[in-house]
Amino acid sequence: MARVWIFGEDINTDQIVPGRYAPYMLKNEDDLRKYPFVEARPDFAPTVQPGDILVGGKNFGCGSSREYAPLALKMVGVGAIIAPLFARIFFRNALNLGIPCFTADLTQTLHDGQQVELNLERGLLTTDDGQTIQLPEPPLFMREVWQAGGIVPFYRTYGRFPGEPAA
Amino acid sequence: MHPRTLFDKVWAAHEVRPQQADTPAVLYIDLHLVHEVTSPQAFTMLRERGLQVRRPDRTLATMDHSTPTTPRNSLGIIPVTDGQAAAQLDRLRKNCADFGIPLFELGSANQGIVHVIGPEQGLTQPGMTIVCGDSHTSTHGAFGALAFGIGTSEVGHVLATQCLIQNRPQTCAVRVNGRLQTGVSAKDIILAIIAKIGVGGGTGYVFEYMGEAIRALSMEERMTICNMSIEGGARAGMVAPDDTTFEYIAGRPFAPQGADWEAAVARWHTLPTDEGAVYDRVIELDATTLTPMITYGTNPGMGMPIDGVVPSPDEMSDPSARTTLDKALKYMDLQPGQPLLGHPVDVVFLGSCTNSRISDLRQAARLMQGQKVAPGVRMMVVPGSQQVKAQAEREGLDAIFKEAGAEWREAGCSMCIAMNGDQLAPGQYAVSTSNRNFEGRQGKGGRTFLASPLTAVATAINGKVTDVREMLTEPVGV
Repeated sequence: MARVWIFGEDINTDQIVPGRYAPYMLKNEDDLRKYPFVEARPDFAPTVQPGDILVGGKNFGCGSSREYAPLALKMVGVGAIIAPLFARIFFRNALNLGIPCFTADLTQTLHDGQQVELNLERGLLTTDDGQTIQLPEPPLFMREVWQAGGIVPFYRTYGRFPGEPAA
Repeated sequence: MHPRTLFDKVWAAHEVRPQQADTPAVLYIDLHLVHEVTSPQAFTMLRERGLQVRRPDRTLATMDHSTPTTPRNSLGIIPVTDGQAAAQLDRLRKNCADFGIPLFELGSANQGIVHVIGPEQGLTQPGMTIVCGDSHTSTHGAFGALAFGIGTSEVGHVLATQCLIQNRPQTCAVRVNGRLQTGVSAKDIILAIIAKIGVGGGTGYVFEYMGEAIRALSMEERMTICNMSIEGGARAGMVAPDDTTFEYIAGRPFAPQGADWEAAVARWHTLPTDEGAVYDRVIELDATTLTPMITYGTNPGMGMPIDGVVPSPDEMSDPSARTTLDKALKYMDLQPGQPLLGHPVDVVFLGSCTNSRISDLRQAARLMQGQKVAPGVRMMVVPGSQQVKAQAEREGLDAIFKEAGAEWREAGCSMCIAMNGDQLAPGQYAVSTSNRNFEGRQGKGGRTFLASPLTAVATAINGKVTDVREMLTEPVGV
């Protein structure tokens, strides 16, 4: 089971990782794992567990194109992000890094701290109180990228465009 | 032929491979701008795979985000005292040298904010696809280019292949009718648009700005508007090229010359949207009733006319919007129903890729002339590039700012993103001409009111948020 973290609307990349914590400003780039939501939600980074799921309101990830915002989420092992609308740059950065994003509005359905299980292949979410929620089924393109852990790892492994049959 | 929009034409001309039902399109990229903060991991990826930069001649690098804007030392050098920033700049120097990419170094005559120097050098041209690892790449759309921000993985893709994987966005016409009143500027237009649609309102769309008010704007004013398209959720904003565009580009270092220029202008004339072309959505705004705008909250959509009052969360029907506004007002320490006019400020920041071009500085200096920055207020003036700085100094604008008690700085992103040490202290209020008022954006606990350069100067003089229209008897031209 994975923990649900509920976030509000219009969560921006400066809330995820303030520009002032750019990787180069850290002694060790691996320290980036300490900084997701460092000021906006200080309890997040110390307690988040690999596989945990972020559930946000509309326009998740708006603002900057700095990929170290989603990268920091990947470094702490965020398993998926679910929001009714994603800012486009963030969405593509997350996909390129292999972080699953599902478009659905669950901020009122789930609660913070709830335990859930997510089947990425089918987009099926099961909650600890027995609800089953069908998220939009991810296209093959996305599933392949997620499985490879990002778009570059995908190309390097398969040498072809994701979502298409091998040549 | 089916009538097409400006966006349709630019997109189609760059499709290497069209979008399929399940897979995105592959787009060719004409110009790739690089800076020190979002590029290091991309170069590492090239090295790991033994790849070269596909088109170094279509790539240009500068230093802007982490560079100090403190004055030069007696040797004319801008000292980088932060060891981490210095290492970052060294890394970009090495990456550019190893991969053959031209670099505008810190302190050199052409260095500046990436979105100021592209247009300034004539690199930004109509009909191009332009990307950069920075969301405000939308700025370049003012020339009728399709320009948008990308992440570092994508910076790597473009360096290696000069191509990018993209889903085709939808189109949205943003029509601004009528003409602006005295004291109201391009910044107020875009703040009003974002206040109307919200920060997620344009998600999934490319905006095309049009209408009488947009046509009447200079290129630099159009850049201010396109710059903040991303703050309305649109990844890109465009303005159809016209004579204003061509006059701006002509004669710049990278502009086509001679017969090439004639051919380019003929080609650019074919770009504007065809009669009868259809947009997926249309937004309209009346410029004649616009006032100076200011933000009160923690995203650029939380904006209002400068003589308005802070809205109440209780008036919000959507519970999620109520929570967001409530949290924003707590952070800003503002009360519902409170006016912002007269609110004291600690800092005034005039700069950023939104408002640091020569016309912004001219406008600001004309209002500042013979006036003083109010006691206790820090005003920073940060030109967008070394070229802008030099031009301002030739015109004596620096002297006006300095005599008024403002700081005249070197070029860079500075307090817009506060990565270089230029930042607010916790609890401070700033009127800023930049583009984001996010929590902590300009320094942990710092509180930002976004506004135009004119509003910024008026506020600096009075030490409190001021309606610039009270100070103007005639238009402040650019």
